[in-house]
Amino acid sequence: MYKLSIKNLSKSYSNGVKALDNISIEISNGMFGLLGPNGAGKSSLMRTLATLQEADTGSAFLNDIDIFNEPNELRKVLGYLPQEFGVYPRITAEQLLNHLAILKGISNSRERKELVKYLLDKVNLYEKRNKSVKGFSGGMKQRVGIAQALIGNPKLIIVDEPTAGLDPGERNRFYNLLAEVGKEVIVILSTHIVDDVRELCTNMAIMNLGQIVYHGTPQNAIDELDGRVYQKMVPREELEVYAQNYSIISNKMVGGQPLIHISSETNPGEGFELIKPNLEDVFFSKINTSNTLV
Amino acid sequence: MFKIFFLSELKYSLKQPMVYIFFGLMALFTFGATASDNIVIGGAVGNIYKNAPHIITFYTIIMSLFGLLIATAFYNNAALRDYNNQFNEILFSTPLSKFGYFFGRFFGALILATIPMLGVFFGVWLGTVIAPAFNWVGADRFGEFYLETFINNYFLFILPNMFFAGTLIFALANKFRSTMISFVGSLVIIIGYIIAGSLISDIENETIAAITDSFGIRAYSVHSKYFTPIEKNTVSPGFTGLLLLNRLMWVTIGVIILIISYFGFSIKEKSKKTKANKKVVSNESKESFRLPSLTINFDRKTEWLQFKSFFYTNFLSITKSITFRILFLFSAIILISNLVGGFEYYGLQAYPLTYKIINTINSATGIFVIIILVFFSGELVWRDRDSKINEVIDASPHTSFVSLASKSLSLVAITTILHVFFILFGVFYQFLNGYTHIELDIYFLDFFYKSFFTYFIWSGVMILIQVLLNNKYIGYFVSIVVIFVWKFILRILDIQSNMLDIGGRPSLMYSDMNSFGPGLEGALWFNLYWVLFSIICLLIAGALWNRGVLSSLKDRIKYTKKSIPKSYRLSITSIVGLWILVAGFVFYNTQILNSYKTSDEREELAVKYETKYKKYQDINQPKITDAKYYIDIYPYKRDAHVKAILELTNESNKTIDSIHFTIDSRWNPEIDIPNTELVFEDKELDYLIYKFIKPLRPEESIKATIHTKYITKGFKNSRGSTGVVNNGTFLNNLQILPFIGYSESSELSDNNTRKKYGLKPKDRMPELEENCSVNCMKNYLSDGKADYINVETVISTSSDQIAIAPGSLLKKWEEDGRSYYHYKVDNPSQNFYSFMSAKYQKATRKWNGVDIEVYYDPKHPWNVKMMIDAVERSLKYYTKNFGPYYHKQCRIIEFPRYASFAQAFPGTMPYSEAIGFVINLEDENENNIVDAVIAHEMAHQWWAHQVIGATMQGATMFSESFSEYSSLMTMKSIAKTPMKMREFLKYNHNRYLRGRGGEVDKELPLYKVENQTYIHYGKGSIILYALQDYIGEDKVNTAMKNFLDEFKYRKPPYPTSLDFIKHLELQVPDSLKYLIKDWIKEITLYDNRMKEATYEKLDNGKYLATVNIESHKIKADTIGNETKVPINDWVDIGFFSDDDEKNLLFEKRIKIDKNEMIFTFELDLPPIKAAIDPRRLLIDRVYDDNIKQIKETTLNNM
Repeated sequence: MYKLSIKNLSKSYSNGVKALDNISIEISNGMFGLLGPNGAGKSSLMRTLATLQEADTGSAFLNDIDIFNEPNELRKVLGYLPQEFGVYPRITAEQLLNHLAILKGISNSRERKELVKYLLDKVNLYEKRNKSVKGFSGGMKQRVGIAQALIGNPKLIIVDEPTAGLDPGERNRFYNLLAEVGKEVIVILSTHIVDDVRELCTNMAIMNLGQIVYHGTPQNAIDELDGRVYQKMVPREELEVYAQNYSIISNKMVGGQPLIHISSETNPGEGFELIKPNLEDVFFSKINTSNTLV
Repeated sequence: MFKIFFLSELKYSLKQPMVYIFFGLMALFTFGATASDNIVIGGAVGNIYKNAPHIITFYTIIMSLFGLLIATAFYNNAALRDYNNQFNEILFSTPLSKFGYFFGRFFGALILATIPMLGVFFGVWLGTVIAPAFNWVGADRFGEFYLETFINNYFLFILPNMFFAGTLIFALANKFRSTMISFVGSLVIIIGYIIAGSLISDIENETIAAITDSFGIRAYSVHSKYFTPIEKNTVSPGFTGLLLLNRLMWVTIGVIILIISYFGFSIKEKSKKTKANKKVVSNESKESFRLPSLTINFDRKTEWLQFKSFFYTNFLSITKSITFRILFLFSAIILISNLVGGFEYYGLQAYPLTYKIINTINSATGIFVIIILVFFSGELVWRDRDSKINEVIDASPHTSFVSLASKSLSLVAITTILHVFFILFGVFYQFLNGYTHIELDIYFLDFFYKSFFTYFIWSGVMILIQVLLNNKYIGYFVSIVVIFVWKFILRILDIQSNMLDIGGRPSLMYSDMNSFGPGLEGALWFNLYWVLFSIICLLIAGALWNRGVLSSLKDRIKYTKKSIPKSYRLSITSIVGLWILVAGFVFYNTQILNSYKTSDEREELAVKYETKYKKYQDINQPKITDAKYYIDIYPYKRDAHVKAILELTNESNKTIDSIHFTIDSRWNPEIDIPNTELVFEDKELDYLIYKFIKPLRPEESIKATIHTKYITKGFKNSRGSTGVVNNGTFLNNLQILPFIGYSESSELSDNNTRKKYGLKPKDRMPELEENCSVNCMKNYLSDGKADYINVETVISTSSDQIAIAPGSLLKKWEEDGRSYYHYKVDNPSQNFYSFMSAKYQKATRKWNGVDIEVYYDPKHPWNVKMMIDAVERSLKYYTKNFGPYYHKQCRIIEFPRYASFAQAFPGTMPYSEAIGFVINLEDENENNIVDAVIAHEMAHQWWAHQVIGATMQGATMFSESFSEYSSLMTMKSIAKTPMKMREFLKYNHNRYLRGRGGEVDKELPLYKVENQTYIHYGKGSIILYALQDYIGEDKVNTAMKNFLDEFKYRKPPYPTSLDFIKHLELQVPDSLKYLIKDWIKEITLYDNRMKEATYEKLDNGKYLATVNIESHKIKADTIGNETKVPINDWVDIGFFSDDDEKNLLFEKRIKIDKNEMIFTFELDLPPIKAAIDPRRLLIDRVYDDNIKQIKETTLNNM
C-alpha cells in the first residue's frame, strides 16, 4: 500500500501567477484523476511531484520518501509521462527504451531486453521496434511514452494528458494497461477529458487556479449535484438574460442552438427540465463558480 | 510588384535589429583596428596611413568573409520567411507575380546585406576622427580620404561579393527550404576560397588563384603586391586587369545561378514527398512476452552502465547528424587538398615527413574541430530539451554529472575519431608518395600531447558555459567569445601566463632531431592543470544542471547550495584541492623558478635601458683580440657551462678607464678582469661597469676570464631555450658571453612603439661617406667589439654526441664518460661562431686540401651527397674567381627546425633541419634551391668573412648581394640553358618588388642599402647578375676580386660600397657606365612591353620578324614616387621557338632611345613568341606583357 501525502504545497512564478496555492492532499493506490481547465496548475503539480520543479513551500512524501529532499529516491520508483513526450532523432524504439531502462537501474541486460520487448508488445509497437521513433506518428510516440513510464515497476506513475492524439482503440488499450498496473500502485492521471476520469478513476480531484476545488470519488461528486441540474434550449440572443437570472453551469451548442445547464435548488420552471448530472456538470460547476458564460 | 516586394523586404528587415547589430560589429572591428595599434585585422598596417585606401580596401575584403554569414542570414530570411511563418499558402493563393516576388525579395536582401558592410567604412572614418583627437594614435598616421575608395570598394567588392554569395544561398534556400543547407552553401563558398588559396603558394599559380577566389581577396593582393607605400596611401582599387576579370567572372556565375534558380522556382506549394511505405512483413512468429522479474539496483555498476548508455546515445546522435558529416567532409576535403598541394619550397617538394603531415592536419582541420566542439557542446547540452524528452530523462534516477560527463566524453571521442581519420589520410598520402617511414608513434603522441587535451579541456569548459547560460545560442556566442576574445583580452592586459589562457601550454614542435623538444615537460604539467580545471567545470555544471523546469541561474545556485549531496561536495572539494596543488606546482615552476617578462615589461625595460645607457654607446672600449673557450654541454640536462678567456686590447690611441657590459642574466655571467673593480651594477637592466684600477693604455692588453652557465630548472611558461636541447644544441658566441658596452640591438626597433614611449625614431645606419674616419673603424657584424681574431675551443658533450666548434679539430678524447674536442681556427676570423652538439652522422670529402664535412641527422640522409657537391662546386668557382679559401674545412651542420635558416660562420654553416635536408631532390638533376642556399652560405666565406663592410649604408651589399650573386653564378655554371636562370631570377624579382611595396621607411639605392633584405638579396643579385650579362662575367668577377684583394682580412678602416664601385668602374666600358648610376646609385625601373610581333617567311628560307615595342625608363624616389625619364638604354630582344619559353632561338641587344620603336630581325627558324628582355635582366613591375605570341603574316604571298 502506497501513500502520497502532499501538504501545504505552494508555488508562484516570477510573473506573479500562483500555480499551486496551498495544496494538501493524500492519494493512495489506484487510479487518481486530476481534472482541471488549462492553466489550473495540474502540470505544475505533476512536475513538482516528478521532482522536475521546486515548490516554494510545503512537503510531499511517498510513504517515507521525502520527495523534495531525496528526489533521487523518488525517481527510482517513479514512472512519468509528461504532457509533451518527444524522442531523440535517429534512434529506434528499442534503443530508446533500453536506454531509459538503464537509467532506471535495470542493470541486467537479459532482463532489460525482455522487459523492453514486453513493454513494446504491450503498447503494440513490437513490430516497429527497429524503426526510428522520430518517424512515428503522434499516437505511436505517445505509446512509446507510455511504455517508458512503466519501466522498472514504478510505485508512483504520473501521466499528464496521456490520451491526447490516441485513437479510441489505442486509448482503450492504454487505459486497460494503466488499470492493470494501477491496482497495486498510485497512478495519477491528469486530463481535461472528463470521460477519462469517469471511466477509470476511483478517486479524483478537480483543480482550478492552483487550488483543489474538489477531492473525492467521481460518484460522490455526481451524487452531490443530483436533483439540482436543469437544462434548456434557449435562443441565442437571450443567453445573456439567462446568464443574469440563473446560475449557469455550462452552455453548449446542440443543433445550432445553445443548450444551457443551470444549477438550482428548486425547479426553475420556464421550460427547464431536470436532468441526471454527469461528471461534466460537476467539473463545470466546480470551476465555474462565478457562473459566467463559458 | 517587384517594387512592393523589394520595399517590403527592406522595411521588414530595417525594423529588425539584425542589420544594425551587424553594422555595429563591422564598425567596431575596423574602428578598433584604426584607432588602436593593438587590434589587427589580417596583418599589421606598417608605416602607411591607418586609413590609406589600401588599408580600407584590405579591411573591406577581409570583412567580406564575415559578411558572408550576414548575407546568408538575410538571403535565407528573404527566401524562407513566408514558409517559416506558414504564410506561404495564403500568400501564394493571391495572384502575385513570380518575377516580382522572386527578384523583389532577392534584391531587397542584396541591398540589406551590403548595409552592414558599410560599417567597415564607418568604423575607419570614426577611428580617423577619434583616435587623433584622443591622442590614441598620432595624427601623422592618418591621411586623407578619397571618395573613390569607398565607391570603388562598394561596387568592386561589397556588392559583387554579396551578390554572388546571395545567388547561391538564395537558390539553395528556395530549393531546400532549410537554414542548415543555406549555411552549408556559405561554407562551400568559404571552402572554395580556401582551396583557391592553396594554389597561391607558388607564384606560378598566382593568376589562377587570383581568378578562382570568389571574394576577390587574392585578386586584389596580386593586383597590389608591388604597390609602393605611396601607392598604398593614395591609390584606390580600380576596375582593371585581373581584378575586373575576377569580378566579372563571379558576377556572371552569380547571374547564371540566379537565372537557373528563378526558372526552378515555383510559387506553388511543393508537393510533399510521399515515401512509399514499405509493407513490413513480419515473419517472426508472434512470441509471447512476459514481464520479467526485475532486479533493480543503483550502485557503481549501474552508474557505469548509465554513463555508457548516455555516451552511446550522445555519440550516435553526433555521428548520425548531418552537420557532423558535412563538417567532417569539409575538413577532409581541405586536408586532402592541402596534402595534394604538397610541401612546396621554391618550386621543390619536401619529403612528406610525419611532422609535416601533422602540421597540415592541425592547421587544415583545427578550425573545424573547434566548430564541432562549439556546435555539439550546445547540441548535446540542449539535446534532451530540444527533443522534448528532457522531463523523462530528468525524472529518471541518475546523477547529472554522469550525464554531463558522458556528453563531454562523447565530444572528446568524436574529435579523437576525426583526428584518427585525418591521421589515416596522412599515412595514406605518405604511402602514395612512396614514403614508407611511417611514424605512427609520433602521430599518436602529437595528438595526445596537443589535440587530445585541447579537446578534452574545451569540451568541459563549453559544457559549463552552456549549462550556466541557459540558452543555446547565447552559449554559442559566449563560447566563441571565450575561444577567440579571451586570448585577446589577456594580450591587452599583458598577461602571458598559460595558467590563465584556457588550454594554454608551452608550444610543442616536433623535430626529427629533437623530438617534442624542451617544452614537453611543461606542456604535460599544463595539460594536467587544465584537465583538472575542465573536470571542475564539469562538476560545477553537474551541480548547476538545469534538471526539470528551466530556472534562472540564481535559483539553481540557491537550490544547489541546499541540496547538493555530501559525496558530490566532497568530490568537488578534492578535485579542486588537487587542482590547487598542481596549480601551485605549475606556478612555482613557471612564475618563481623560471620567471619571465611579459612583452610590455620587456618593452619598458628596453626603453629604460636605452634612456639610461645610450650615452655610453660611443665610449671607447677595448676590443677582443683573442678568445679561448672551454664549453661543457650537458644536452640531457639541458645545461651548458662556459669559461671564456678573452684577450682585451686597447686598440685606440686613448687610455680606457672602464669597461662596460650588457649581460644576459639567464646565463649567470661571472666576470673576472684583473686590475679592475665592479663600480656599477644595474640588476634590473643587467648593466655592469668595471673600472680599471690603472687605466688601460693604448696597445695594452689584459686577459679577462668569464664564466657563464645556462642551467635548466623545472619547466617554463613558454617552450624554453631551443639553444641548449637534448639533441641539436646550437649556440653562438654572442649568446653565451656578455656584450661589451652598450648594445644597440637591445633597443626597441619599431618606430611606432618607440613613439609610444616617447623615444626618437631609431637611428638609421650612418650615411655613406666617401672618406670615412670613425664610422669605418667598425664593421656591421662585430660592431667594433672585435676584428679578425684567433679562436680556440675545448668543447665537451655527452659521449653519444659530437660537439663542433669553429676551426680544425686538433684533438679528441674521452674523459669521465664524456667526449672532448679541441678546435682551433686556422686563420684569424670574424668574432662570430657557433657551438653545436648532437647525435650526428658525418659525411666527408676532400677537395684540394679542404675537408668538406656534412653533419646530419641519420634520419635525413637523402641530400647529403648533393650538398657536398654544392660545396665543392662553390669552392671551385669562388677560388677560381675570387681567391683562396682560408680555412681547412667546410662544414654543413644540421640543427633542429626551431628556426629555418642557414647561416655562415667562419668555415661552418649551420643549416636548419627544415630546409635542404628534407627537400626531395630525387628528380632534380640541375641546380635547385638547396644548392643555391649552400652556394650562398659558402660565398659568405669570402663576402662577409674575408671582407666586410663598415657599419654604414651599403655595407650589406658586398656580403649579401655578392653572396647571392656568387650563388647565382655557381648555378649558371651548370645551367643547361640560359632560360633556366630566369626561373631563379624570378624569385629575386618577386622578392625585391614585393619588398619595396612593404617598405616601412624608405627605399634606398643599392649602394646605400641599410640592411634591407629585399634590396640586398633581391635587387642586389638581379643587378649584379644583369651587370655580368652586360659587361661580362669576368669583368664583374675581376672587380670583385680586386676589391677583395685590397681589403681581405684587413684591420680597420673597413671598406664601403664606394670602394667597390671604384674597382667596378675600372671594368665597365664607357658605353655602359650609365648602368652604375642607374642600377647601383639610383632606383631605376623599366616598363617594357611587346606591343605587336609578327613574322613572315622569306624566300631564302629564313624568317623576318618585326617587333613593335614600347619601353619606358622610370626613376623612383625613396617613397615610391615614380617619374619617367628619357630612355637611351641597351635592351635585349629575343624570340622563343616554343610556347614554354624554354628555347631561346635568337637574342640581340639593341639600343632603345625612343619609347616606341619597331625592329626587324632575320631568324633561321620560325619563332613562336617574341620578347623584350627575354631573360628578365631588368626590373619591370609587369613582366608578363614583355612577351607575346608572334603572328605569321602572309602579306607577301598574297
